[in-house]
Amino acid sequence: MQYNPEEIHVTPMDMGGSAMSVIGLSKSFGDTPVLENINFGVDEDEIVVLLGASGSGKTTILRIIAGLEMPDSGHVVLHGRDVTESPARQRGTGVIFQNYALFPKMTVEANIGYGLRLRRRKRNEIRETVDRLVELVELQDHRTKYPSQLSGGQQQRVAIARAMAYEPEVLLFDEPFGALDAQIRQSLRKEIRALLKKLNVPSVFITHDQEEAFELADRLAVLNAGRLEQMGTPFEVYTRPETEHVATFLGAANLLDGTIRDGKFEHQDVVLELSPDNPKCREGDKVKLVFRPEDVFLRRPENLTQQYHQLATGTVDEVGFAGSYERVTVTLDLGKHKPIVVTRPKTETAAFPLRVGQSVTAGLVRYRVIKAA
Amino acid sequence: MRGFDLAKPLSIGVMIAIMLPLVLLPLASIFIFGTSNGLDNFWKALMAPEAIFALKLSIVTSFWATVFNVIFGLFAAYVLSKYNFWGRNAIIVTISLPTAIPTAVAGFALLLLWGPYGLLGRLIEPHGVHIMFTAWAIILANIFVTFPLAFGVIKPVFDTMNQSLEEASATMGATRWQTFWHVTLPGLRGAIVTGALLTFARAIGEFGSTILVSGNLASRTQTAPLYIFAKFNEGQVEAANAIAIVLALFSFVIFSILFFARDWLEVD
Ligand SMILES: Nc1ncnc2c1ncn2[C@@H]1O[C@H](COP(=O)(O)OP(=O)(O)OP(=O)(O)O)[C@@H](O)[C@H]1O
Ligand SMILES: [Mg+2]
Repeated sequence: MQYNPEEIHVTPMDMGGSAMSVIGLSKSFGDTPVLENINFGVDEDEIVVLLGASGSGKTTILRIIAGLEMPDSGHVVLHGRDVTESPARQRGTGVIFQNYALFPKMTVEANIGYGLRLRRRKRNEIRETVDRLVELVELQDHRTKYPSQLSGGQQQRVAIARAMAYEPEVLLFDEPFGALDAQIRQSLRKEIRALLKKLNVPSVFITHDQEEAFELADRLAVLNAGRLEQMGTPFEVYTRPETEHVATFLGAANLLDGTIRDGKFEHQDVVLELSPDNPKCREGDKVKLVFRPEDVFLRRPENLTQQYHQLATGTVDEVGFAGSYERVTVTLDLGKHKPIVVTRPKTETAAFPLRVGQSVTAGLVRYRVIKAA
Repeated sequence: MRGFDLAKPLSIGVMIAIMLPLVLLPLASIFIFGTSNGLDNFWKALMAPEAIFALKLSIVTSFWATVFNVIFGLFAAYVLSKYNFWGRNAIIVTISLPTAIPTAVAGFALLLLWGPYGLLGRLIEPHGVHIMFTAWAIILANIFVTFPLAFGVIKPVFDTMNQSLEEASATMGATRWQTFWHVTLPGLRGAIVTGALLTFARAIGEFGSTILVSGNLASRTQTAPLYIFAKFNEGQVEAANAIAIVLALFSFVIFSILFFARDWLEVD
């Protein structure tokens, strides 16, 4: 079946490229809606990371793309072919499952060659492909072992090689590092990104680890309770979050309620100019000011220089050591509100040490407003 | 001797002393009596045509009952693990029921169904189809009394089998049948072999139901256990003993396999 965009009425958030796209996906389990109108696309050779809390529907999206789950409505399009009605085995996707799902009674070689054997490829063609992949994922010394004899990282590489062997139209990773420890995760992440870039396969990668998402993604899609809230490069999504959830889920963020007056943000005495890249707001709109902990500078009340946007004065609540930086919470003199979080690099803390109870003034380097829900 | 622990030899001794009259001596006496008149006589008793026939009949009928029950057990385990439907638990209980039924009752039940005046027997006998008092009856009885054994071993392995293996296989392009053949079945290898050995071991020793349904005709429908019983009744203890040794060895071999090959049979 050929996908005809005119037959489907959607407002694509981001159709991206043509290699793989999902259009208007919705899914409920029983009465519980799990996905609502999900739209996104993945370019040839692009890595899109789906980021979201547990239960936000990430795995369900992946399973729908792979054909392991049927959507209630919407379409899955692979290289222009609408595969929504096709069974999993006819889609040609490569899935790397959370637990790898390696076949325990097959050796590494047999696992990798399985997809080609199913396709009845010639024996020497299978051998060549397996040889090439075994080398690519550096498992030469383990090719005749069984999965139970491999380490977690090795199993993971088998799973990837196995999914790549039959040249899938898209690679789908469901939190493949979940079971590994932090150090291995980090090195594997780099390896996988390098590998995927070499292969030029469109890839969808699931994680709920923000750091992992930043490091792997060409583009990020942030899911919240079955809705795709924002999609963009990691930099865009981090610096220009569009919703409160995106702002707080990706890194820490401080929030301050306010109103638009004369095109400016206003909260009691706090008045901040808004640059044009903020969302269009009308006079009187309820908004939230968003600023990152690293974008706040603390100074002695009399010392704030012109280069920072004046926020408010306040009192230091806590000073905490967090490894490479210092983490400070400050209660601003703005009546009832949550204390704000500030992170300060070593150079700052040396120049201006803080103690609990000290009066400070807070200035902002960068901030945005988002519309209040 | 410092640190000598009297409890150890004592408890081992007591354990063996209890086992001796209950298990070990009965088994030993089969071998002692069976060979007390010399191996020649033992061999002759074993090679009697009726004895050979009884052994062969037992092996063949147990074999086919095993084949049937393993295949059915596999199929039933597949259906019951994969699909949820109304009455599913009732079926699981029913499959397991035959172990709880006395074997004589099982034989009697088969007679009431397939016998000349039985529910179904009544319908087929006029057409010259006889099931009771033939080898078929023995197979049916064996199937009945060993029905849950293979299923009982295979089902739990099926239940714990990782579903994502089958999903992985499907995404890689496999049909249901290919997935079953290449992925599911190899994972059940140990359970299938274990289930088959248990079924065969149980079937080859079956007595209670067989004596009712087979007719116990020498060289026609007399299985090895029936042969032992008949010869003993006729006072031919030596003849009975020779077959008893063979049956005992059979069980011994099967259970040794189950015990010593358990690593190989284990399903990961
Ligand atoms: N087969 C199912 N039947 C019923 N509910 C389901 C099923 N599969 C998933 N769900 C529900 O759908 C929601 C989304 O599940 P999903 O597995 O997609 O989340 P996820 O984002 O992958 O979470 P995690 O990070 O924990 O893996 C959850 O609330 C889950 O309970
Ligand atoms: Mg998941």
